[in-house]
Amino acid sequence: MVSAIFIIAAGLGAAFLLGLLKEDQKASAFAITVAALGFMSWVAYDWAVALTTGRAAPVDILTAGAEPPFAINLRMGVAEAWLATVIGVTGLVSAFYLRPALMRLGRRAMAVLLVMTMALTGLVLTRDIFNLFVFFELVVIATGGLVLLSDDERAVAAGFKYLVVSQIISLLLLIGIIFTYHANGSLNIDDIAATPMMFTGAGLAIFLVLIALMLELKPFPANGWALDIYEAAHPGFAAIFSAASGTAALYAADKIFAAAGPDWLPLATVLGLLSFLGSGVLALKQTNDRRLLGYSSIGQIGFVLAVVGQRDILGESYLYIAGGILITHAVAKAGLYWLSGLVKGRGLDDWAVLRANPLLVFAFASFVAMLVGLPPFPGFYAKWDLMHALAGSDRLVVLGLILLGALIEAGYMFRWFGYALKREVREAFPGFATDKTAVVLVALAAGWALGFVWGAASANPNLLTALPILFALAFLVLEPLPAWAKNILAIAGLVGWFVWRYPGYDPLQMIFAVVMILGGAVILLASFYEKGRRIGFYPPTMLMYAGLALLIEAQTSFEFFAAWEVLTIGSYFLILRGRMGEPHALSYILFSLGGAFAILAGFAVASMGVQPFALDNLKALAEAAVPSAPWVFVLLAVGFMTKTASIGLHIWLPGAHAEAETDVSPMVSGILLKAGLFGLFILLMNMGHQHLWGVDLTEVLVWIGALSAFLGALMAIFQEDAKRLLAYSSISQLGYALFGLALMNHVGWLLAMMFVINHYIYKSMLFLAVGGVYKRTHTKLMYKMGGLITLMPFTFVSVLVGIIAMSGVPPLSGFGGRWLFYNAIMASDLRLPMVLIFMSGPIAFLYLFRLIHTIFLGQLKDEHRRLKEAPFWLVVPQMIFVLALLAFAVLPGMALQKVDGYIGSFFGDEPLIWSGRAITSTFGHWNPVAIMGVIGVVFVTVLALLLWMNHNAQKVKQFNIVFSAERPFKPQTTHFAWNFFAPYRKAMGFLVMPLVTTFWGAITDSLHSTADFTRRFYTGNGQTYAVQVLFFVVATYLIAMGGAS
Amino acid sequence: MTFEWIHIAYAALTLFIVINYGMIMTALVRKIGARVGGRYGIPIWQNYIDLAKNIALRSKITHGVMYYLGPVFRLTGGVGLLLFVPTIYGSVMFQNFSYAGDLILALYFVFFGTLGMALGAGESGHPHSAIGVSRGLAQVTAAELPLALGVYAISLQYQTLNITEIVAAQQGSIFNWTLFTNPLTTIAAMFAFVGTMMRSPFDVVLAPQEIPIGPPTEYHSAYLALMQTNRVLFPVAKVVIYMNLFFGGATNWAEFAIKVFAIYMVSVLIGVVYPRFRVEQSIRFFLKWGLPVGILAILTV
Amino acid sequence: MLPTIAMATGFALILMGLYGALTHRNILRMILGFTIASTGVNVVLVSVGYMPGRTAPIMDSAVPVADAAARVIDPVPQALVLTAIVIGLGVTALMLAYAYRLFRIRHSLDISKFTELKW
Repeated sequence: MVSAIFIIAAGLGAAFLLGLLKEDQKASAFAITVAALGFMSWVAYDWAVALTTGRAAPVDILTAGAEPPFAINLRMGVAEAWLATVIGVTGLVSAFYLRPALMRLGRRAMAVLLVMTMALTGLVLTRDIFNLFVFFELVVIATGGLVLLSDDERAVAAGFKYLVVSQIISLLLLIGIIFTYHANGSLNIDDIAATPMMFTGAGLAIFLVLIALMLELKPFPANGWALDIYEAAHPGFAAIFSAASGTAALYAADKIFAAAGPDWLPLATVLGLLSFLGSGVLALKQTNDRRLLGYSSIGQIGFVLAVVGQRDILGESYLYIAGGILITHAVAKAGLYWLSGLVKGRGLDDWAVLRANPLLVFAFASFVAMLVGLPPFPGFYAKWDLMHALAGSDRLVVLGLILLGALIEAGYMFRWFGYALKREVREAFPGFATDKTAVVLVALAAGWALGFVWGAASANPNLLTALPILFALAFLVLEPLPAWAKNILAIAGLVGWFVWRYPGYDPLQMIFAVVMILGGAVILLASFYEKGRRIGFYPPTMLMYAGLALLIEAQTSFEFFAAWEVLTIGSYFLILRGRMGEPHALSYILFSLGGAFAILAGFAVASMGVQPFALDNLKALAEAAVPSAPWVFVLLAVGFMTKTASIGLHIWLPGAHAEAETDVSPMVSGILLKAGLFGLFILLMNMGHQHLWGVDLTEVLVWIGALSAFLGALMAIFQEDAKRLLAYSSISQLGYALFGLALMNHVGWLLAMMFVINHYIYKSMLFLAVGGVYKRTHTKLMYKMGGLITLMPFTFVSVLVGIIAMSGVPPLSGFGGRWLFYNAIMASDLRLPMVLIFMSGPIAFLYLFRLIHTIFLGQLKDEHRRLKEAPFWLVVPQMIFVLALLAFAVLPGMALQKVDGYIGSFFGDEPLIWSGRAITSTFGHWNPVAIMGVIGVVFVTVLALLLWMNHNAQKVKQFNIVFSAERPFKPQTTHFAWNFFAPYRKAMGFLVMPLVTTFWGAITDSLHSTADFTRRFYTGNGQTYAVQVLFFVVATYLIAMGGAS
Repeated sequence: MTFEWIHIAYAALTLFIVINYGMIMTALVRKIGARVGGRYGIPIWQNYIDLAKNIALRSKITHGVMYYLGPVFRLTGGVGLLLFVPTIYGSVMFQNFSYAGDLILALYFVFFGTLGMALGAGESGHPHSAIGVSRGLAQVTAAELPLALGVYAISLQYQTLNITEIVAAQQGSIFNWTLFTNPLTTIAAMFAFVGTMMRSPFDVVLAPQEIPIGPPTEYHSAYLALMQTNRVLFPVAKVVIYMNLFFGGATNWAEFAIKVFAIYMVSVLIGVVYPRFRVEQSIRFFLKWGLPVGILAILTV
Repeated sequence: MLPTIAMATGFALILMGLYGALTHRNILRMILGFTIASTGVNVVLVSVGYMPGRTAPIMDSAVPVADAAARVIDPVPQALVLTAIVIGLGVTALMLAYAYRLFRIRHSLDISKFTELKW
């Protein structure tokens, strides 16, 4: 092992060595720089590995031959080693990235870079507060030098502002240090006694040291100077400033917090959360990419600072958690800054040029996922553990605020990602520099590697070893293959997984597995239609299916949540692919993440911090009537209902489903929504009735379900866009399912189960049919179509069967749902919510008729006369669905009988008697075969009669109709389609005022206007910033002391 | 109960009786209307004449497959509705195919014919057909609501969805009828009854007196004949349900004839007294009057 | 008494310096203000280490190593001050260099003119 002192020595030595070179020996100067940085990184990494694996023990490195406190000592422990590695590698990689600038400015600039890296490492290693100060000043000076690397003239002013503030910080720090020394008689951090937070000399001294260190973390709102640096500096340096400086400063602060005692931790918590939330909100209004990243940096560092504030409860997992978040942030932020160097324009939508290289888009997506704390990156595991620790110690406010901050961050990061993927590329693409691209890819690889490491170190399963996820990720590598080949693989994978796993499933899992996995394979048949390579389709699709596959099998809360996040991410990218998908994908991911965070909070509270938490434990929680149980119920239910798009949480759905690609719409509608139902099944199965303030929460769910069913249907009938109509109809259908579940009786659950199957089949079928029509007519507006029945007969048949099934008219399978529904409500004590459901049934009829009439019946448009049937591969799955629907209609017992028995084991009753093919309930009976038989015979008889009488009817042309004494000649004026239910709008239109949209809109608007108002606080004047810093210090002191006393 | 071939013969007999009864009864009602209005009116066998005339019509056109199937759907709907409900309580012959399903089947099968006919009419491309369908569907969503609530209420009351059992519970005395045991529910259901019988004030869907509108617009010849058959069959089938649920059912054909006529006359009487609603007016009417009664009905059961 | 006076003077200098740095718009004056403030900090540092009646911490014939602990003042603050002065010099030099570049850009030394970066 090379002693860690050589990290410092190598940095300094190389910097001096550079001074000996001639000005024009730039290449050798660069070689020396790189060699030194490489050496520093290697030493640090070597230590990190050795310490982590236990090959070495943490050491104190003594200088000047004396023990502390008589000499400075450095410490190399696990945390130090890893952070030093991060800093060293960031420096090294940045050197390559900054190469053109460094070569231009020569050896002095390289020396400054070396000093910077060395000083940052020193900050991490040192155990002496005055030494800390010295390294800080070195960092300040080096920063001052490196800011000048930028081509941007404004960087000079930014650098000066930074120096001004640094002066104030160093004043505070020095005064704090000297009085801390005065109080403790030592400069060694380990000798500093834990000091209570009080109006004492020692208290003030330690406060000054702490606040100075925290000012280095650019806390909101005393951070205007830092933002200017982020915006104007060279992106290569901004990467260091964010990743390395932030990391080092945070660790420095952490050391002092550890010494100062638990009394001071709330200070870190409050300031950290303030930064996290404040800069998050302000970032919403940013249009400059680097400034936005600056805000995000500040927010993330604030987040980690808040974690530092929790170190008293985190115990051994502290390093895992704080380190996970910190390192993820460092890698992601460095990566993003490096990416920004590849993009010419500074607007957020200028990042659209990244599309020229799919690898960079993948990198961008990965970095965003890292920042937001999505799996499989370290931040995900860390956040999971953190939330459990917080819940275990009842720090629920902190928990809530952190999740809120993460959601806001997700908001602006994903919005930006959406721009990059969907906005127009405005200027000609100049090509990416290879070396810079390589640097970005290094960060990308590091992020994934860290994800693996953190997963392996986690007490929970490592997501990067889960087979479905690996299978999905494999498609990243397979991207060069043609789409059909990938499609075969994907289908084979889904079917193979199902065949392998299904013997172990219980009937409930079985139904969901059939719908999600096999059902997914059927829908994928439609994807054979797509030609070319279809880059970016299969990885997210398979990720979504991987999440679903894992969700079905999840045993613990972690597995469930991880699967949930995975399927959310996958589906987000899928939805984003839609032509106009950008805003809808954003609202989808926000609602989904909001829901996911609710689930996370729910699980954390439920587990009381104890991991692993088996899902079955929810039952114990409910049985023990723990006071938190109803809250767990609420959180989980809200989380699941974001996926089922229950009313109030539904506004993402119409756009997301309607704008998705033809084969994606059925996936996200027919399959994805069922994940929410699956969650609700698990929840209700385990927790049952919960009461909050005397209200039975399942009754609330019944109402929500009924309202969703009613309003969803009502909104659907006023849509002109066919896919939107279907999307709103999904809200309604899922409302039925939720309603059935929440009735909490046997038949109700069976009803929900039936909706899972039925809705999958007919919604997938209808979306594919409408998608096929869209492929041919290039419009989704129904009034622009008409009369397509003869041109697209197969599509017509599938829509016809679909709407008969969905409307619940016998003899198709929808009727079974209605029949179960009546039996379910008969067994329930609730009365009023039924009114809404009764109403939504016929309303469904309205929109379904409109769908089939305005597209396939009425007048054919001139421009459509030559249309052909929908593409073969789109029709194939539809025909499979038609057959499935017919089979399910005649033999519902095939799928339901086992589930019925399974549900019976929960309720301990047997309300349905399956005799032969007839089903008898407590209240009535249903004989699907007889129904089909009677209707069939009557139908055929009548038809025969008509054929006998009218077999010689003459086929007439389109306009052979007469009305109001004129002969129509224009399909446009004759096709009755637009605003089809005008009288209905007159009577009921007031019910579909977009209140929910307005509500959520008002929330985002107010956040945005707050951001716009607050950011004017950053005037740009360095002096004002300095004053703000002083005010911040004084205010913090007064509030802290006021809070302590 | 299981299927036996003789059931088909029984069902055909029921059908035969009901169709002929419907032919004559609807003609009779029109005749009464004419006499009240001081006119002579149609001959009592007018429906048969119309039927024969339509079937005999020589010019027959078609707009396409769905157009062709529309009347088939329509009549199947009517016949099916009749056959899924027991016609005569206590009679083995006239139980029809009620073992196939219960009240819910009848309730939802009502839409079968409506849907098919609407689709067929849609293919004709005639805007008046589509307008009529749009109006009809819009109106029926509100009009059916009180019935749905009423059905829910009486199934709660009798704790069964089985029509025969519901009728059985009403036997013995006239005061065992739902009409008397649960008047609120009956009133709620009668809102729906009046609203869906295609008579004034709720007949804007067909607007029979003016320009033809609604599904039959483009239909003629045997198509129209099938639809006409249904026009006499369907109301009776529907009245049978009301009769079974609220008015004690019928134990023989005479009782059947009287009760059906009486119930049918309710909508006729209201129809001749009140002028026609526009669609949104009738929707509001049902929501304002029918819905509250229905809600009261389910709350007070 | 003496250390108290010194310390009070130091803090007075800090406040004066800060006041100057935060009220004057001229960049050079600001730098000067910070210099004064850091001088004040240095005075405070020294005053903390001062102990009445003791001598400088220089080990020579006058102060033998054996009883140094009892006779000399605390040497650490003095060492710190030396370092702080050096660092202060470095930072001041850097700020002056910045001032020069800022002036070259805009021909002005008014800090309120350099506010393109904001919000």
